[in-house]
Amino acid sequence: MRTKLGLLVAVVGLLAAACPALAHHAFVAQYDASRSMMLQGVVTKVEWTNPHARFYVDVKDKSGNVTNWNLELASPNALRRLGWTRDILKPGDKVSVFVAPAKDGAKMANARTVTLADGRKMVAGIAAEQGGVQ
Amino acid sequence: MRRDIACSIVNALSLAALLALSATSASAQGQPEPAGVNPAGGGVPMRSLERLKSKAAGPTPRTADGKPDLSGIWGPEPNFMGDISNALKPGEKLPLQPWAVKVSRERLSKDDPEASCLPAGIPRQTPFPFKIIQTPKLIVFLIEGNMHTYRQIFVDGSSHPKDLDPNWFGDSRGTWQGDTLVVDTIGFNDKFWFDGIGHPHTEKLHIVERYRRPDSAHLEYEVTIDDPGAYTRPFTMYGRSPLLQNTEIMEYFCSENNQDVAHVLGKGRPAKE
Repeated sequence: MRTKLGLLVAVVGLLAAACPALAHHAFVAQYDASRSMMLQGVVTKVEWTNPHARFYVDVKDKSGNVTNWNLELASPNALRRLGWTRDILKPGDKVSVFVAPAKDGAKMANARTVTLADGRKMVAGIAAEQGGVQ
Repeated sequence: MRRDIACSIVNALSLAALLALSATSASAQGQPEPAGVNPAGGGVPMRSLERLKSKAAGPTPRTADGKPDLSGIWGPEPNFMGDISNALKPGEKLPLQPWAVKVSRERLSKDDPEASCLPAGIPRQTPFPFKIIQTPKLIVFLIEGNMHTYRQIFVDGSSHPKDLDPNWFGDSRGTWQGDTLVVDTIGFNDKFWFDGIGHPHTEKLHIVERYRRPDSAHLEYEVTIDDPGAYTRPFTMYGRSPLLQNTEIMEYFCSENNQDVAHVLGKGRPAKE
């Protein structure tokens, strides 16, 4: 089941990679959706800024080494229209984030969904109709 | 257009796949997942406007002098963003001169002026709304993205000044032809790109836009590009914007925290030419 689902996600991901980006910069020129991954960690900083809101997360690997990831969201105007508020993410929050990492190897990624400490899953990408909150 | 529809379907599938995966993979958190979801990151602003579109369309509103009133907050037209050839009539191609074909193929996303928070110029749009304020002698466009700027269109019978300095939005003079606002613009620089691909132009650029409001909920426009420096003939693009409700123009100063350009590689999308 999981293998089939993984394959479906992989195929859809590849198809989606061919779709146009409409941000102020070209998504596919910056992020690699085929290497998408789940990051778990603690929020260290939030920047509610243009052209993208950003939050930074300390992620610990199996050896205990901590890496600070720079995670990109949409712009505050779009996020507000999707129902986000600037205090949804706060330093100290434990989060799980499904991300597409930077192509150039920087510890930087585009956040697709953010699962908050209280279990709410914030969809940064698709769920406009649900106000961005599942 | 066909590709846009296909991408909408792909995006919906992406969400469904992600939700299905996340429902079965609680134990796998922290492990790399096999693939991505909805990488059309810029699609987020477009989706944020979906529920704001006016659902009812009444008659064209008019000003006291009987002209159509174009005032309102309007949603962007996606065909005027990534590749303007999507806004041509079906089957038509951009009449690029050979050097312009070469430039379109070679330009890289990191060099897109818009990615560095410079103005988008005309006719390129951004995935954010714009607001039209109409007065009898001056029509103003307030543009939320890409750098929170404006256009002035003088409808006072005046002509273009002589000896214009080239700039990003040129000099716009409007006249009413029946219910159509015709906007004539010259005085452009050659610095902005027509779209994400990088379709070029020169300072010879002359743009004529024709705006209509066929009902209360829609703004329709034709944009004719005449640039003998880059194109072999004039060509016309077609766009339509939905009226947005329950929102306002919001701030978007792109240069505030623009960390992207240093990490942009290659080309966002290939040129068709």
